[in-house]
Amino acid sequence: MMPVLYIEATKDTPRILLNAEENQFEISEKSLPEDAIGFYQPVFDWLNQYIDNPKGANTFVFFLEYFSTSTAKQLTKILFLLEKLSEKVQVKIIWKYREADMDMHNAGMRYKKILKVNFELEAV
Amino acid sequence: MLENEETTYNIIDLLHSSKMSYFYRGQLTQNITDGILALTETNLSKAQEPVKVKKRVYTILVEGLQNITRHQDLKNERKSFFGIEQSGDFYFITMANTIGNAKIDELSMQLDKINSLEKNELKEFYKRALMENELSEKGGAGLGLIEMARKSGNKLQYSFKQLNDKVSYFYLRTYIKHNLDDVSSETNHLEFDNIFRLHQQLDEENVLIVFNGIFNQESLINLLSIIESQMAGQPTLKKRVFNIMVELLQNIVKHGVTPFNDDGNPGIFYISDSPNGYKLCTGNYIANENIANLKEKIEDVNKLNKKELNDFYDKRLFNFQIDNSKESGLGLIELRLKSNSQLKHSFKGTSEKISFFTIEVTIQE
Repeated sequence: MMPVLYIEATKDTPRILLNAEENQFEISEKSLPEDAIGFYQPVFDWLNQYIDNPKGANTFVFFLEYFSTSTAKQLTKILFLLEKLSEKVQVKIIWKYREADMDMHNAGMRYKKILKVNFELEAV
Repeated sequence: MLENEETTYNIIDLLHSSKMSYFYRGQLTQNITDGILALTETNLSKAQEPVKVKKRVYTILVEGLQNITRHQDLKNERKSFFGIEQSGDFYFITMANTIGNAKIDELSMQLDKINSLEKNELKEFYKRALMENELSEKGGAGLGLIEMARKSGNKLQYSFKQLNDKVSYFYLRTYIKHNLDDVSSETNHLEFDNIFRLHQQLDEENVLIVFNGIFNQESLINLLSIIESQMAGQPTLKKRVFNIMVELLQNIVKHGVTPFNDDGNPGIFYISDSPNGYKLCTGNYIANENIANLKEKIEDVNKLNKKELNDFYDKRLFNFQIDNSKESGLGLIELRLKSNSQLKHSFKGTSEKISFFTIEVTIQE
């Protein structure tokens, strides 16, 4: 059984919840850490381990209000891991954004274009 | 070339004589006050100061900010002005707000009275004012001023600058020495000339906030929260300002160098509300050997149109050859995309090894 990974949001880092048992996967709020690679390392580790023995259905929600360019790169890595996961089990990605926030919509579109995975944009 | 190279360098030069300083121009709200206090706390806790000094600086700030909040004229177009500087052995706290010319005499008398009192007398005066204050509503007895004088242990320096026949700027400046020594009031280190000049330049550029000091993630977060409050009600624009600010400031944290023995990278940041849109400007030191490369990168990215910028961003986003804690290869592209404008820059040599690099981004709709 995979342990739950939960990281509380701060002023410059997002809230992260990875709970395989409950099919709850979410990254939300703001992300502008000074060392984005270091910050997201536990997420990479968790996903890499999860890929070995995943559950049948997985819905990942991204609902970021704001992220920096160094975060953008780490999100790419996470999304590639999810793409890899989707080769084994069902994966759905939901990219949420505030309705008026075209920048965040466009950021989602960038990823959707490149990834071969079920990727939905959802205005909130 | 920068848009207003002379003004920009004037502001930089005026601030650079101090180790750390920031000035805020605008309406003070509770959120902004909190942001300024948090920023000060961050900077004070980095500095090797005794707790007692930090506490006093903090108290003076709180009183000063409240004083402005209480007296600022919300209908007036002229903005209040507030700043703190650390220079040599001193912390200076400066504030300015407009005041009706008719009130100048009374206020001067009040200040002269406070300045004429010795420590013990000041304490008594405070007690008396406190009692009288309970009877009046708006803190008219000048409690805040007395408290500032008490906490600084020094005289309150003040000055008025007439703007027209109705109003003047009222400048108040006080200071604390690092070791809390008393300073003779004759010491002439409280020249108002520099402050007048700085205030004027900031007025001309319509600067909202300027920060000069060591850049780290904490100061970045505090500056962001001040800007966030200052721009309430403009969500889309605010977010762009946010985006650009984070990229610019993290650049200083990650790529700046220090010509001094600091435990971080010194730099300067300001944001102004210019006729063309919000303008964000940063300046920091870089090694001369890196100038050519940086210049080329900026010029390359300036040549691209929107479509090309988006394509370039995609290419970089999925290219993991550039991916380390210092660089994602996306920052400059993001600045162009989010600002819709050209990046302006300038290099000014400061020594054989180091130059001062200034970059300016104006957010256009």
